[in-house]
Amino acid sequence: MNQPMLWGVGTSDYGLFPERRVESLAWAAVSEAVRDAGISPAEIDAIVVGSVFGPPGVATRVQRGIGIPGVPMWTVENACASGTSAYHEAVEAVRLGRFGCVLVLGVDQMSTLFSGAIVPEATDPEGASSLPLPGLYALQAQRYLGEFGVTPEQLAAVAVKNKRNGLDNPRAQLRNKAPDIEEVLASRMIAEPLTFLQCCPTSDGAGAAIIGPDRGNRDDLRIEASAMVSGALWDHRSDDVWGFASVARAAEKAYAQSGRTPAEMDVLEVHDAFTIGEIMTLEALGIAPRGKGAELAPSGHTARDGAQPVNPSGGLLSRGHPLGATGTAQIAEIAWQLRGRAGARQVSRHRVGMVETMGGGAAGMDGNACVVTILSTQ
Amino acid sequence: MAESEAPTESTLGVGRPTKRRPGSAVGGLAVADPRPVFEDGSVLGVRCTACRYPAAQQGIPWCPVCYQPVEPARFSPAGAAWSSTVVAIPVGERRPPFGIAYLDLDDGPRVMVHLAEPAVLPLGARLRITGTDRGDLLASPEESTEGQS
Repeated sequence: MNQPMLWGVGTSDYGLFPERRVESLAWAAVSEAVRDAGISPAEIDAIVVGSVFGPPGVATRVQRGIGIPGVPMWTVENACASGTSAYHEAVEAVRLGRFGCVLVLGVDQMSTLFSGAIVPEATDPEGASSLPLPGLYALQAQRYLGEFGVTPEQLAAVAVKNKRNGLDNPRAQLRNKAPDIEEVLASRMIAEPLTFLQCCPTSDGAGAAIIGPDRGNRDDLRIEASAMVSGALWDHRSDDVWGFASVARAAEKAYAQSGRTPAEMDVLEVHDAFTIGEIMTLEALGIAPRGKGAELAPSGHTARDGAQPVNPSGGLLSRGHPLGATGTAQIAEIAWQLRGRAGARQVSRHRVGMVETMGGGAAGMDGNACVVTILSTQ
Repeated sequence: MAESEAPTESTLGVGRPTKRRPGSAVGGLAVADPRPVFEDGSVLGVRCTACRYPAAQQGIPWCPVCYQPVEPARFSPAGAAWSSTVVAIPVGERRPPFGIAYLDLDDGPRVMVHLAEPAVLPLGARLRITGTDRGDLLASPEESTEGQS
């Protein structure tokens, strides 16, 4: 068994770029990651791509431009967790010695498919019934309001925190101004209680990572754990809100692999597609007890200068959410944070970092997939 | 995904093929209807012959909990709302506001329903499915449907 290491990361800018070829977003991310890893493209001996909306063949069109022909390559679709699922496969391949150096690419160009919210999937029982993703998260949020007494102000505090963080992220889609709680709550309703500023934007972008074994480079980050789980039934027997159990399953595996506890996580990037998502996720990750996750943003615990900063990049709420690229963007942010190179976004304690991505939307399942990974400096 | 600003008028894509758009509501091709079926006052589905696990989907090869055979089943149209919301954006052919809920049918599965009157209901509120609207299960508070079966 090899110790998998993160050799390098790179991303494109995030935003709406319908005029750009999708490949150009990928090339920006890949070239930065290759330079960051200090390797020649010729050293890459496998490519794993995470993408939801493709288009079909995008991996090969990307490959054509970067001169890495003939290597094993495959594309993974696990909804919003596609990028981190691709990363997970690369990590496992390196751990098992199957490949020596794997390029991970996450990419999606949503602006060429949707002019607003994602159109629900017509083949899904709930998608066909016009359940939009913000509606699904709103149903979660209503449970939190009714069961735990969570307030709209607590939800809004997550958006305020992440959008403030995003001001310092030059690659974030939304970085012009940070709203206060009143402005978040006064923005137009999307699905009660989630307002517009509590929902991530539709985005284009790409992220890349280079994974390899320990090569004695002090700048490489140790991948202490990587866990990927698929969904399980979410039905009338489930007490948990939708999504909770899949995140908890992946987290349990990741903590077991690394031998670490939630309190040891110095900095986290988690799936805040909607404000309630960050709250639910932090509970499922054990950062807060059940029903208490909504207190973390208002208390400052998850602020950039708090005890456990969460989404210092601005999260999906600021950076944007090109589905397949999101996981790789999260990994890039944690890499920059752990190496102390996050600039104005830098958190003070940065030895151990966590990334969590949960993708979902298939009716009756607690997620399509969830990946949790723990990285550390050497 | 929330909405973002509508793209400004552009000549992008004019005169060459453009990408597909999923869903018939936005010009895609039709697909088989995956939604639960409501017939003669019941929600149709399957139930496990061994552990009695109920599911609102038909055509599954075995019980997804215990792998034993399933048989066709009819479920009560009444149950308790697990959660509900009012959607304030257009989705497919739906125009806002529209209400949706997860409804735990009595001795049956959890199904997504549309609400006849958009409202955020108390957790556990009693609802009854009274029919369908454009093929979607349609439910109302139980007290307003008394006398119906």
